[in-house]
Amino acid sequence: MTHTPRRLALLALGVVAALGLSVSFGASGIGPGDLWRTLSGSGDPTTQAILFQLRLPRAALAALVGGALGLSGCTFQALLRNPLAEPYVLGVSGGAAVGAVAVVVTGIGVVLPWTLPLGAFLGALAAMALVLEVARRASPGRMDTRILILSGVIIGAFFNAAILLLLSMADVESFRSAIFWMMGNLSGADWGSTGLLALLLVPGALAVLSLARAFNLLSRGEEVAFYLGASVQRVKLTAYLAASLMVAAAVAAGGVIGFVGLIVPHAVRLAWGNDHRLLLPASFLAGTAFLLLADTVARLVVAPAELPTGVVTAVAGVPFFVALLLRGGRR
Amino acid sequence: MRGVSLSISPGTLLAVVGPNGAGKTTLMKLLSGSLPPQEGDVTLNDRPLSGLADRERALAIAVVPQSESSPFPVTVREMVGMGRYAHLGPWERSGARDRTVVDHAMARCAVAEFADRQLSELSGGERQRARIARALAQEAPVLLLDEPTAGLDLRYRMELFHLLRQLRAAGLGVLVITHDLNLAARFADRLMLLDRGRALARGTPDEVLARASLEAVYQWPLRVVAHPGPGSDTGAPQTVPLRRDDP
Repeated sequence: MTHTPRRLALLALGVVAALGLSVSFGASGIGPGDLWRTLSGSGDPTTQAILFQLRLPRAALAALVGGALGLSGCTFQALLRNPLAEPYVLGVSGGAAVGAVAVVVTGIGVVLPWTLPLGAFLGALAAMALVLEVARRASPGRMDTRILILSGVIIGAFFNAAILLLLSMADVESFRSAIFWMMGNLSGADWGSTGLLALLLVPGALAVLSLARAFNLLSRGEEVAFYLGASVQRVKLTAYLAASLMVAAAVAAGGVIGFVGLIVPHAVRLAWGNDHRLLLPASFLAGTAFLLLADTVARLVVAPAELPTGVVTAVAGVPFFVALLLRGGRR
Repeated sequence: MRGVSLSISPGTLLAVVGPNGAGKTTLMKLLSGSLPPQEGDVTLNDRPLSGLADRERALAIAVVPQSESSPFPVTVREMVGMGRYAHLGPWERSGARDRTVVDHAMARCAVAEFADRQLSELSGGERQRARIARALAQEAPVLLLDEPTAGLDLRYRMELFHLLRQLRAAGLGVLVITHDLNLAARFADRLMLLDRGRALARGTPDEVLARASLEAVYQWPLRVVAHPGPGSDTGAPQTVPLRRDDP
């Protein structure tokens, strides 16, 4: 516990460094001197436009999405007492994808671009409500988390089938853009959507962070948590709603970016242990830094084209995680 | 459970004994508030337990359940620190007093030397003491333990009952559920013998541990003999189940 402030400060520095890298690299490089001049308002107009209209909103979006996925992944692991849990395990992403793909396939998205994130967000909320309702009816009065997992996985499978059904009816162009959306893509970033995402994330993040000590108790089992004074049912419901809301907002803004929500909390666990008072904020910050770097790579590797960010998170994240696991095993 | 009535007073050690399926764990769930009674009531200083908020209840009653497991490893200090949950608000950081209470609880249960080790690295007996330390960190006047000696060797069992005795001497009201009739007879002030949800006998060890009732409850022939000593518990009733003769 005494290490907490220092470790969080360290991660925050990492976020700042990742942010610097992210806005410096791109189709045209911006050196540290240029970056400083432009940020302080005295750079040339082109650099200013690139920085403020393109790079910064995109970096901010990557940072928020990465943080939201890290924090909600950690929350689902605590709620379900399962180290394999991740933000999409309970079907929220499936619901979001159904909403987004429906918007793309029906062509509404071409006419009204903002309907894509809206469709994804509404789909995610519908999935969240449906999974919760099934779990509550199957275990009245106590929301059994094993039933919650089961209900999430089953309903997720149903959504996947619905996605395939929609895709089978799509023309080539909308098929392609639907697949790209599902792989996770941050290229649509602007200040409006980033600001909206930030507004949606704040209440969820605060709610989850306030439960840090309750999550520590919950990790010892619901019975123990109850004896130690936690209001177990309220904690579980709050955690579920807050984390699902964060995932819904993140997926609506950036598509289904995988692996961040699984790998980031685990990396923090392996390095610094399982005290959620450190683990939760650290997962947010580490998710932020990780997605900033992954998105920078996604923009650079095949420039001027770009890779879907979700592909980079998997390709870079999995070896990193395997290395961490092997190192942890030797300890 | 039917017709069971008991009270836990400060400075007493009460042991609840009885065969498997007698309702010992159900009794503990009723007393700890995790199972609301269908009839009758459980009160704390004349207030019904069900009327207490979760935190209030944890400040009054600490429970060491039979077993627990976690997918995420913790250190002993983190584990014992969880006992402070009910004392702190959601945004409140643990302070000097919380740390003192945790250190004191670990010292009392002789796990202070393992404070920064992973709980999973400890032996069964040490882990059990760490769980009791967590309950002590709650600073509740009542302590309930469900079969705390299960799976422990002779030395850890003796140490654990001595620890319960010390806690009783420090003024706690301690209720322990146990299968160990002999240790219960030597350490507890009062015993309750449960069978099929009913309290068959209650009182001092000498009153409760009678051959006839034990044979009826456990469905096994046995003798009750006096503890030969030495020690202050010399003469405590010790149960010896008899062996069947070889055919």
